[in-house]
Amino acid sequence: MENPELMVGIPLVLLGALGLFVAVSLFAMPEPAGGGRLIRRAEEHPTPSQYVVVGMFLAFVTAVEVALYYIDMNFNVMVTVLIVLSAIKFLFVVGFFMHLRFDSRVFSVLFFGGLLLALALFTVAITTLDANLV
Amino acid sequence: MAHAAAAEHHLETSTGLDNRKLLMWFFLASDCLFFGSFIAAYLIYRDRNVVGPYQHELYDIPFTSISSFVLLMSSLTMVLALAAIQHGNLRAMRVWLIATAFLGLTFLSGQAFEFTEFWREGLHLDTNLFGTTFFVLTGFHGAHVAVGVLILLSLVDASLRGKLTEQDSLAVELGGLYWHFVDIVWIVIFTLVYLIQTQ
Repeated sequence: MENPELMVGIPLVLLGALGLFVAVSLFAMPEPAGGGRLIRRAEEHPTPSQYVVVGMFLAFVTAVEVALYYIDMNFNVMVTVLIVLSAIKFLFVVGFFMHLRFDSRVFSVLFFGGLLLALALFTVAITTLDANLV
Repeated sequence: MAHAAAAEHHLETSTGLDNRKLLMWFFLASDCLFFGSFIAAYLIYRDRNVVGPYQHELYDIPFTSISSFVLLMSSLTMVLALAAIQHGNLRAMRVWLIATAFLGLTFLSGQAFEFTEFWREGLHLDTNLFGTTFFVLTGFHGAHVAVGVLILLSLVDASLRGKLTEQDSLAVELGGLYWHFVDIVWIVIFTLVYLIQTQ
């Protein structure tokens, strides 16, 4: 490989693909006995107190991210951890606040389809134009 | 909440889903490509500068961290507004919507301050590739936040004039989807643009 920096970029892209796989697994809730269920009920949404717990968790993860920025550690490790934490925050907002975990699977397929296309475009752009990712 | 659930289960569409909500998710999926392109452009060009100033000379991480926290908490107040209208509590919904709009305006104020500081330090849209890609990316995100604030205030206005009732919770839900999307885009920008910096 001509550009050794791409050796770092490829694991990042693979990490993104892994994140998408985890997301799809997370949102593909098991079907109830007796047949499939396209539309999930609004009653299954979290309660306000559960929303607050999710919000506090997101704030905590953000604090950890900022702390990592100031900790003297291996840069590649820091980048990996930051991206994983960012993906966790992303999935919690999409899953709980945007209700994808409780809503129709059609919406999940639509959104993650768009996200997958965006990731593909991102990958093509940074590899063909030799982006210095880290 | 019962109204919202009932409405969702009696839609006479080919998908059984509300077309307005389907369209919103289509829009958000397409917006992923929009922001994905700008983030990729930023990562490609940020280090290909002939002249400064450079990112590590300008970024104020503590300040941006507070802005990120503010926007994150606005997602919480937004979802609480939706929960309020689904429970038929319109007054609480208005309070949470106004709180969300306030947090959004706080974030925008922070961004205006940041842009002004960068401008004073000599970073303009045409100074270097970092300036071009940074201002375009974060500027478009800020424009999305500004549109979101207008949507929130219009929901409050409609509620005050009696045009937004418990049966119209979908309007708040759609506004919320847009607002949360703006938040998740910032989650990505905060990590890739601010926290992961090249030297």
